[in-house]
Parts: sequence; C-alpha cells; structure tokens
Amino acid sequence: MSSDTLNPAKRNEADRHRQKNWFQTMLDRPEIGPLGVMLLLFGMLGYFSIPEGQFSLNPFSGEGFNALGIRNNFRVIAQLGIVALGAGMLIISGEFDLSVGSMIGFAGGCMAMILKWGFAVIIPYPSFADGFTIEGFRLFEIQNVSPLTAILITLCLTLSFGWFQGWFIVKSGISSFIVTLGGLFFLRGLTEVSYRAFNKKEDQTAGSTTVTDLPDIKNIIEVPGLGEMEREAAKSLPNNQLLEVLKTAPESTVAKLTEQLSYANEKVAATKTVLQESRMTQTLQRSLDNAIQSGNEAMQKMLQAKIDAGVQVPEVKAKAVTDFDLAKAYIDTLPTARPVAEFFGGDILKPLFDWLYYTADWNVNNFGNQFAPGLYACVMIWLIMAFFCYIVLSKTQAGNWIYSTGGNLSAARANGVPTNRVKISLFVFTAFCATMFAACQVFEVNTADTAKGNLKELEAIAAAVIGGVVLTGGFGTILGILLGTVIFGIAKEAFFYIPGVDGSFYRVFLGAVLVSAALTNENIRKRIIGSA
Amino acid sequence: MSVQRPSIEVRNLVKRFGSFTALNGIDLDVYPGEVHALLGDNGAGKSTLIKALSGVHPPTSGEIKVDGEIVQFQSPREASDAGIGTVYQDLALNPLASVTRNFFLGREIKKGLGPFGLLQMKEMNAITIAEMKKIGIHISNPDQPVGTMSGGQRQTLAIARAIYFGAKILILDEPTSALGQKQQMEVLKTIRTVQKLGNIAIILITHNEIHAQLIADRFTFLSLGEVIGRGTAQELEGDEIKKLMAGGAELGNLKAELAA
Ligand SMILES: Nc1ncnc2c1ncn2[C@@H]1O[C@H](COP(=O)(O)OP(=O)(O)OP(=O)(O)O)[C@@H](O)[C@H]1O
Ligand SMILES: [Mg+2]
Repeated sequence: MSSDTLNPAKRNEADRHRQKNWFQTMLDRPEIGPLGVMLLLFGMLGYFSIPEGQFSLNPFSGEGFNALGIRNNFRVIAQLGIVALGAGMLIISGEFDLSVGSMIGFAGGCMAMILKWGFAVIIPYPSFADGFTIEGFRLFEIQNVSPLTAILITLCLTLSFGWFQGWFIVKSGISSFIVTLGGLFFLRGLTEVSYRAFNKKEDQTAGSTTVTDLPDIKNIIEVPGLGEMEREAAKSLPNNQLLEVLKTAPESTVAKLTEQLSYANEKVAATKTVLQESRMTQTLQRSLDNAIQSGNEAMQKMLQAKIDAGVQVPEVKAKAVTDFDLAKAYIDTLPTARPVAEFFGGDILKPLFDWLYYTADWNVNNFGNQFAPGLYACVMIWLIMAFFCYIVLSKTQAGNWIYSTGGNLSAARANGVPTNRVKISLFVFTAFCATMFAACQVFEVNTADTAKGNLKELEAIAAAVIGGVVLTGGFGTILGILLGTVIFGIAKEAFFYIPGVDGSFYRVFLGAVLVSAALTNENIRKRIIGSA
Repeated sequence: MSVQRPSIEVRNLVKRFGSFTALNGIDLDVYPGEVHALLGDNGAGKSTLIKALSGVHPPTSGEIKVDGEIVQFQSPREASDAGIGTVYQDLALNPLASVTRNFFLGREIKKGLGPFGLLQMKEMNAITIAEMKKIGIHISNPDQPVGTMSGGQRQTLAIARAIYFGAKILILDEPTSALGQKQQMEVLKTIRTVQKLGNIAIILITHNEIHAQLIADRFTFLSLGEVIGRGTAQELEGDEIKKLMAGGAELGNLKAELAA
C-alpha cells in the first residue's frame, strides 16, 4: 500500500450527506417555489390595487386587501381549496377524479331541491289498469327537510357515487381518467335531468334549471314573541312590533348597541363632512379651470384665494340613535335558528371584524359604515378540512398508505397495504369535498343551478400541481396544496389591478406557472428516485 | 447442522398459468442457518417458485410445509405472518418515501384509531437505525428518501425489514443483479451476517455462480420448471455448477459453437 492512500474505513456512509443548516433545509423543501409565487401575487394584489395617485407602503390600503377584498378573495380561495384537498390527496395516491365539478352541481341541486320540495322515496312500477303507464309508489316522504337532513341525504348519494367510481376503477383496472370523465358527463346530465323532472310544481310540465326563492335559511331567527322568521323580514316589521322586540333585549345589550350605533353614526357623519369638503374643493377647482380658460382674471384671483384659504363646510351632525335602529341592531344580534345552515353559509370571525371597525378603525367603507361583517364560513370549513388532511397524510398510518399506494403500488401491496381500499376511500373523500363545496354555496346564496361547479375538477388538479403534487403519485404535501390553491385563487384578482394589463393575462400566467410547476415537481421526483 | 428439521419443505409443487406449466413438480428443503442457492437459466421458474412460497401465486398443486406444518397461503400477508420474508427483485420499496416509512410500510407503529392512528415516528426511527446497524449499515438520517440510497443499502433495508418482522425464512430474488462490484460485496456480507444468526433459512436466487459458490451451503438447479440437480457445496465442483446453471447444456458445446 502506498503511503498516500487514505484509510477508507474512516469514512462511512453518513459522511457522504452534506450537513445542511435550517436555511438550506428550507430551500430544499418543494413548497418553496409556490411560496415565492404566492408572496409575489400577494404583493401585486396589495400594491396594484392602491388607487392611482395615492402612495402607500401599506399593502392593506388598496381594494385587494381591504376588509371586503379579504372577505371576497378568501371565499374564492376557500371554495377551490375544499375540492383541491380531495383532488390532491387522490393524485398522491396515483388516481384522478374528473367528476368533481359535476358532483358539485349534482350535490348543490340535490340539496336545494330537497330543501325546496321535500324528499320522497318513490318506487316505480308498471301499471296496466289504463293502458300501459308507469306509476309510482310513495315509500315515504318528508316535507320541510332540515338543512342537516338535506346534507345527509345528499351525502348518501354523492358518497355512494364516489365509492362506486373507485370500486369500478380498482376492480376493472380501467384508468381513472376515463372512468371519472364518464362520471363528469353522467353526473352533469343526471343533474340537468333531475332539475327538469323534479324542480317543478305538480301541474308544471318541465322544471326550471335553477332553484330560486329558497328562504335565507341561515338567517332564520326566533324573534321573541313572534316566532321564526327571516332576519330581513324581522327588521322590516311595523314600528310597534319592533319596539316590542326591543323590550325583550337585555339592558346590557341595549347599552352596548347604543354605544356601537352612535359610534357608527358619528363615523358616517364625519365621513360625510370630509366628503363634502372635497366636493366643494373640486367644484371650486373646476370653476377656476373655467375661469382660466375664459381669461377672467378677477374671477381667477378670487377663486384661487378661496381655495388657498381652505373650504369650510358645516360639520354634518351625527344622526341620533332611535329605538327603531336599536331594535334592528338587536335583531341582527339574535342567533340563528338553523345552526347547520349558518355553519356552511354564514360568516365567521364576526367579533374580530367588529373590533376592526369599532376599535381598530380599519374595516370602514367609503360611507363610514362597517365594510365586511366577517369571513365566509367556507374559509373555516376549508381550514378545518386542511388540518385533518394534514394530520392524516403526514402523521398517520393511512397517510403512509396513501403515499406508498401512489409511490409504488406493487410495493405497497406486497407489504400488505390495502391499496384498493385506500383508493376507494379517497374517491369517496373527493365526493365528500365536492358535497362540502356545494353545501357552502347553497347555504351562502340560497340558490342552485345546473351549471354549478363547472371546470372545478381541472382547477383543483391545477392547484394541487402548482402546489407540488406529482401527477404520477406518491409525492406532495397538504401545505403545498394550500399554497397552490391560494395562487390559483388570487391570480385573477392580482392581474385585474395591474394598470394597462388585460385582466385575462391571469390565465396566461396560470398556464405558465402550472407547466413550470409540473416540470419542477418532476425534476424533484427524478432527483429523489435517482433517474435524472 | 443438517440433522435439523428443514424450515421449509416443498413437495411436488406444480404451477400452471393456463396451459403453460411454469413449475412441474418441484421438491425443495431449506434448513435454518443455511444459504440455499436456487439457480437456473432465465425463465426456469425461479421467481415463480418463490412467488408460490410467498403467497403471491397460489400453487396449482403440491405441498408446502413450514416448520413441519402444511400451509396454504392466500395472500403475501399470510406468508409473511407464517415467517416467510421475501425480498423481491424490485425490493417492494417506495423510493419517494423515507427509510423509516419504508421499513415499517404496512406494519406501522401507531397509537389510536385503526388506520388513523398516529405514527410513532421517533420510536420507528430508532428501531430502523438499530436494525440496519445490526446487519452492517449505518444510516445517519432516517428521513432520507429511499430513492437516494445506494442499491446495496436498499437491499439491506429490505432484508433488515424482513428479519425485524419475524422472517424465519428469508427469500432473496437476485439481490446482487443490479449492483456494482462493491455493493454486491456489501450485500453478500449482509447475507453472511444473517446466515450467522443461525436461525434463519435463506433462499438465494442468483445468476452469478461466483456469488453462489462464495456464500451458499446448498444448491438446487432448475430448468424449464423442473429440478435438474442438487447438492451441498462440498458435493458439487465448479464446472458442474456452471453446467447445471445453464440448464444442463454442455459448456464445451457452446465453446465449440462460438468458435465456429
Ligand atoms: N403471471 C404469469 N403468467 C403467465 N406466465 C408466467 C407468469 N409468470 C411467469 N410466467 C412464465 O413462467 C416462466 C418462468 O418465469 P420466472 O419469472 O419464474 O423465471 P425466472 O427463473 O425467475 O427467470 P429470470 O432469471 O429471468 O428471473 C416464464 O416462461 C414466464 O414467462
Ligand atoms: Mg426472476
């Protein structure tokens, strides 16, 4: 052995891994790309939405991230997010579901029609009594179905359909792309047929393809002494009844409401004063411009002096708080009598948004009123579901099974993983997600129509891929799916505000991001399995 | 050594795929603490035989005894529960997942609700590192994806996993075929370590007669679905092994043909 030979035994395999600090470890995470894109879009939305001529370093001062902007943007994100969770987990297990969008339409139609017309199980049978006809035997019937029952009945239907698709795919070995593409057409068609068949009164020939004039279920309240009614109806009760209602309010509540209402009235008055001042200044400025044009120098001087002195408008007096206002405000505080509808379609974080208005002086619209009442409940449902998905996917045995089913199907099987059950369960889960999406939509807007959920299946897949999920399975995280969802949900708004750029460029942008994300994901995957 | 009862006995095993007879009456005895080399040309039926032993394909007829008791496996799970640990040619690993997640794949340590029980990652990491060390591989980071490990390390992982989960009969299907020289030696060393444990019977499939001669105590030769020769390392001489591995064709003939 020559003298310069190193002793090879001293180096073991562990030494061959570069020691990384936390920063390098973070940069290696697959979520880092989507995180960057998301921050970029947030910045764009924040700054481009600040009105022209106004300068601010605060991204929350524009339309994009004022209270209403946050409320609306997060609603779009959360709705997509709910289905992206299911789609993403399914892709990680190596399958697709293209029927999600149609499932949303189907589930929404189901719920809305059951709520409107009731639910019955009718068994058809042929009858020859009077020529040949098909008669129906009513097995049972429920009128005035509660929101929970409507959701549960719908879940029975959608989950069975999801189960059937999954079962069919694993048993037949036909690719999920084709089977669920079939599901896409099948369910959309079934939805349209059902609307025409059931969304009508007995004497009408064909039903309508929209469900309208449902009550605002989440806002049905128990008004003291008057029973259940919609909040808006209660607020437009005759004056004497309003006063009756106010009498039932606890004193502390009345005191607090009085305080809040006078704050709001003062705020509105102050805003009006400022508004009138600026109107006055504008008028003077316009007259000045005219005077300059017409060459009237005396007039010019006089107007200029007035402008320089600053306009003085009389301060607008705050409206007094009346008992009727108090009664209406009290009715606004009454809790819903339909908590399930409120859970899906109501608002959350109301105390926070109240605080932002009354105390932080931020959640204020152009007239001085409170801007946003809260966030849509679908944001909460999205985050709850994301939390459970995160726990399941990265912390439980089921998660390990999902990853291995998508990562190496035969290996998972050889090690006793019930891969078929894993896949079928995830098809059931995507159906569940679609139903949750539909429930949020139905109880938010109290309408449904046959076109609901169109294209959502593809958007969900795109969001998952942008978030780092690999289409061939086995790779991806819930955090990544969340980031991808935010990117997909916010891009439209962000591009809308860029001056001089056509709003539709957001699609161009998303297309490019999608493909580069897919490329990045594939490279990471290849680097890991060592076949770059 | 060989007065013991065999860990696994195979009698007159037949496996047909439709009209094709892949195995035509195989007998095989494998003893604890022994490496039993299963040799034969491509398509001889080696992989089919071990698939029958490990519950992947139920045999058409014949008898398999494990520790003297007749068994009939309906699934790989039943075979592994009976102590037959199989390391397939493709290793049955998920390259995208971590070492620990692969080690415990399908048998995760968890607390709580069925498949939704929480994984006990710390405990599983510790066991993985310890078990890998027992058969000679040091891993520094159990979160490392298996795809980034060397082929030899992957073999070792699959072997360590089979042993930890109670394999008394370890079946290795061409464990050295896809590896470089150094890694082949690593795997042979691992096999030797397992052999020395003394209580595990090892069935080794290989096309490499040098490896077989280096490590095997006993040989069985298959050709066209039948046993064409068997013996201990002492009974068989080098040329005999070569000849039987090629399915009995005379190597001399081949030399002549190539020369022509
Ligand atoms: N599932 C199956 N269906 C039909 N024929 C099969 C099946 N599996 C194996 N065979 C056939 O059985 C024969 C034996 O195959 P086997 O894989 O056992 O060979 P082998 O000895 O392992 O070969 P190699 O050394 O190439 O791995 C081959 O002719 C093969 O085509
Ligand atoms: Mg083989």
